[in-house]
Amino acid sequence: MADVQTTNQSILVVGGGMSGITSALEAAEAGYDVVLVEKNPYLGGRVAQLYQYFPKLCPPNCGLEINFRRMRQNSKIRFFTMAEVANISGSEGNYNVTIKLSPRYVNDKCTCCGKCSDACEAEIDNTFNFGMDKIKAAYLPHEFAFPMRYVIDPSIVETEDGKKCQEVCEYGAIELDMAESTFDLNVGAVVWAAGWNPYEAEKIDYYGFGEYPNVITNVMMERMASPNGPTQGKILRPSDGKEVKNIAFIQCAGSRDENHLPYCSGICCLASMKQATYVRERHPDCDISIFFIDIRALDRLEDFYTKVQEDEKIQFIKSKIANISEDEATGNLLLEGENTRTGEQLRMTFDMAVLATGMVPNKIDIAGAPEVAADEYGFVINDPEKAGIYGAGCVRRPTDVASSVADATSSAFKAIQSIARR
Amino acid sequence: MENKMGYNASFAEEVFRNVDSGDEIKMCMNCGVCAASCPLREHMDYPPRQIFSLIRAGKREEVLGSQSIMLCTSCYTCVVKCPRSIPVMDVMHGLAHYALKKGYTPRIEAARFGKEFWNQVYRRGRVDERDLAQRAYFAGGFWEGVKKILEFADVGIKLVLHRRMKLIPEKKIKGISTLRKMLDKAEMLDKGRSVQ
Ligand SMILES: Cc1cc2nc3c(=O)[nH]c(=O)nc-3n(C[C@H](O)[C@H](O)[C@H](O)COP(=O)(O)OP(=O)(O)OC[C@H]3O[C@@H](n4cnc5c(N)ncnc54)[C@H](O)[C@@H]3O)c2cc1C
Ligand code: SF4
Ligand code: SF4
Ligand code: SF4
Ligand code: SF4
Repeated sequence: MADVQTTNQSILVVGGGMSGITSALEAAEAGYDVVLVEKNPYLGGRVAQLYQYFPKLCPPNCGLEINFRRMRQNSKIRFFTMAEVANISGSEGNYNVTIKLSPRYVNDKCTCCGKCSDACEAEIDNTFNFGMDKIKAAYLPHEFAFPMRYVIDPSIVETEDGKKCQEVCEYGAIELDMAESTFDLNVGAVVWAAGWNPYEAEKIDYYGFGEYPNVITNVMMERMASPNGPTQGKILRPSDGKEVKNIAFIQCAGSRDENHLPYCSGICCLASMKQATYVRERHPDCDISIFFIDIRALDRLEDFYTKVQEDEKIQFIKSKIANISEDEATGNLLLEGENTRTGEQLRMTFDMAVLATGMVPNKIDIAGAPEVAADEYGFVINDPEKAGIYGAGCVRRPTDVASSVADATSSAFKAIQSIARR
Repeated sequence: MENKMGYNASFAEEVFRNVDSGDEIKMCMNCGVCAASCPLREHMDYPPRQIFSLIRAGKREEVLGSQSIMLCTSCYTCVVKCPRSIPVMDVMHGLAHYALKKGYTPRIEAARFGKEFWNQVYRRGRVDERDLAQRAYFAGGFWEGVKKILEFADVGIKLVLHRRMKLIPEKKIKGISTLRKMLDKAEMLDKGRSVQ
């Protein structure tokens, strides 16, 4: 049971990605008590999985680290990982919330010595790397995880592996009898910053994701390019581990499509152009083709587009890919479309294809929760008529980190107003 | 009328107003998926996306005189795949109908194809894709037919693979005489006559 004292002057932030962290910090630095809950065992959200940020191509961990430091210095923020909202009721100025904590089986005495992981034999899919590799069932979620603390997967708690882990831990950090727990909070306002999930690429059946191993998604590409990812930063074909010689980026994979996501996901053009620079950096001989309907690079981001266009190894081809088929013998992929600039039928073969899949907002999915306004696609609208629960970041619209941070700041301010109004 | 720059500024408006489903093309984002998915794309002078672009560009003669609009076999591929949910097939049919009404005659190949289609429906109540293609090709003589069959072989195989064409001949449907009555009436209506 967590000892958290809150009042209707406090703010609850749900989701510990860039948006949630920002809302929490802004409100706390303005003097309000904040509780932040995050479902994953670490903070940082999707950003922690990116290799580099566009347009500056700097490592995201740097920005995250600055925010974590701000959090550590501020006693007004309490945060919980492996935590979710189980229940929420009330109205603006007075919400009663129940938080559910899933057991981590590791307490704060953990020094990250790694001995439990060495002792453990069982392996699980590495969800941080989208299942492209396996990790031990006693693991650190990733190299820069915050909080820096191991996790024991529930699957080994009752097994020999679990016992072995506990035995080798010299710090008494492993508690296999940890159980799920709940605690109640009273808060005056809520910021919903649960972020996004990648659109399920399997649903676009004519691209063969899940069926053809060399068709991957843009989020997988971020992990592949990361030095701490499944291939240590090399861009290798999943089917045979071969270095790529030519690669295709397929824009609007599922977005701008009435059969899938009718809206533009806003960031995937930039993400693909950024990823093209990853490929250039790692494999300078590789030919890169980006297939698009139109390129969406707005405001200052257009400069990045201009820069990438200058690279003679990167081709932009105006065609939505209509079909992918695989040559079973080689694993190569045949892409078909119509080049809408020339009117020619297009058939091109590639080693690998990256689907620029879009973003799906994580809606408030708590039974009995007060109604929150959303648009036809599920993005939260901060409706003045339904004040008290505010969306922040990608739950409000699919966008980049800079815009998420700006939005999260404004949502923190709205939450403060909800309290001040009472 | 085309202006001296070679386009007809009011043609798009004419299509939006007069062609069945014609205004649907306002939603087209020019992505090319229909053009790349149509099984007849290689035999069309302008695959669907290009037809829509030509409409916007005011190319009345090219569009209404095109063979593509007459060739559409109603396979639905474009309708299923269009990211903007445009009933591409309906627009193609709408255009074909409009072109005929405006006195454009389908080019010889498309006409053979259409006529054979009608004959088959009239005879059996259904279309035998394989037989249809063969008859349409051979309508121009034996050697021309052989040449055409070889050209179309890949499309045929694709259709079979996607279970859109069967290899065994189709049988007559039940109640073919009722269907024929309907078809007769439809033909009368089409010619502008009244039916009771
Ligand atoms: C391929 C790709 C590349 C990208 N590259 C860039 C880039 O280079 N530069 C850039 O600026 N942007 C980039 N973006 C966009 C960037 O990822 C988003 O802007 C950013 O993740 C938004 O942060 P967020 O906090 O709103 O959401 P998220 O990062 O999704 O964070 C939400 C957090 O909430 C948690 N959560 C979810 N549900 C619950 C729940 N019920 N209870 C508790 N917690 C919950 C999640 O676990 C997560 O930690 C990229 C996006 C993609 C798809
Ligand atoms: S749980 Fe114990 S053994 Fe495992 S990393 Fe932490 S301190 Fe080391
Ligand atoms: S950002 Fe680009 S790739 Fe993404 S949906 Fe919009 S147009 Fe398509
Ligand atoms: S698939 Fe639809 S949106 Fe794309 S070009 Fe064809 S009609 Fe236009
Ligand atoms: S319905 Fe007609 S236009 Fe559409 S794909 Fe089939 S043949 Fe081509």
